[in-house]
Amino acid sequence: MSLRRPALLGWMLAIGLLVGLAFAQNSSPPPDLSSRVYDIARELRCPVCQGESAAESNADISVEMRRIIAEQLAQGKSEAQIKAYFVQRYGDWILYDPPRHGATLWIWLSPLLGLGLLGWVLWRYQSRLRQRAQMASAEVPEEEIQRLEAELEGPKPNTDR
Amino acid sequence: MRLMVGVLLIALLGGLFWWGMRRDASALPSQLAQAQEPAPDFALPTLKPYQAEWGETLTLSELVGPKPIVLNFWASWCPPCRRESPMLEAAWRRYRNRVLFLGINFQDGDEAARAFIREFGLTFPSGADPRGRVGVDYGVYGLPETFFINSEGRVLARHVGELSASQLEGYLRQLLR
Repeated sequence: MSLRRPALLGWMLAIGLLVGLAFAQNSSPPPDLSSRVYDIARELRCPVCQGESAAESNADISVEMRRIIAEQLAQGKSEAQIKAYFVQRYGDWILYDPPRHGATLWIWLSPLLGLGLLGWVLWRYQSRLRQRAQMASAEVPEEEIQRLEAELEGPKPNTDR
Repeated sequence: MRLMVGVLLIALLGGLFWWGMRRDASALPSQLAQAQEPAPDFALPTLKPYQAEWGETLTLSELVGPKPIVLNFWASWCPPCRRESPMLEAAWRRYRNRVLFLGINFQDGDEAARAFIREFGLTFPSGADPRGRVGVDYGVYGLPETFFINSEGRVLARHVGELSASQLEGYLRQLLR
């Protein structure tokens, strides 16, 4: 048994090393990709993921997208040209920061519109309240006011009792 | 009058909510199909079982013209593809004189792909796109995806997800019109 143990340990080590190597190959980016590739990939969506960029995702398609970016950078293409390449294929959806024109402009403007609408409604409500208060005080007849003021001064002492 | 406006507003918001809930947020419009753009060309190695009949590479530009093309992206790891394949094969056998069916084996292994072909007895040719470069060219984001290409090489329609037989019939009618 004691003779076998080193052999077993050796096997375990070897297997552990292999598994580690396999994981390292799967999860770490190919070493030849520059940080510029990741800068561009970070602004592009991974088409098959939910809420992950092409830089973070390890889906095969994201790996391929990073490879395409690296190839195009090597060809001397600009960041804008590379993004245009993906937009041409996937539409504006592929961009994390969609352009401010067309239908997407409404998304940018909608908070402002909502705020404006809220302000308008509040202002109208306020002015109506003020108007009603003024109207109410103008409509009350003089004797009513006198009676109310008298009541506010407190009840007169009752002389009957 | 105010009641009317209120009811109308609630109906409008309700309608918007209903529409929003029913639509698939992950669905993407196809840039190619929207403008009926020319299908991106590709030259892919033909999968082994089809090399005798179709040669070593499948080149789209050489196949466009005589017949419209049904281009199907599939993979052995994609469960809906398994359900879809028998129906595609049946349609291919029925329409092969009038329509060309082409498969693109997307990000798959050669062995797994061949086992899949054997399992379903697929006789329409497929090319291998192991890295998915052609998939990116077509804006593929979920398998299976099927593109319908007319005789001029333009993309008429794109279907994401499993096709039913009746859906395929509809697309083929559009293609053969």
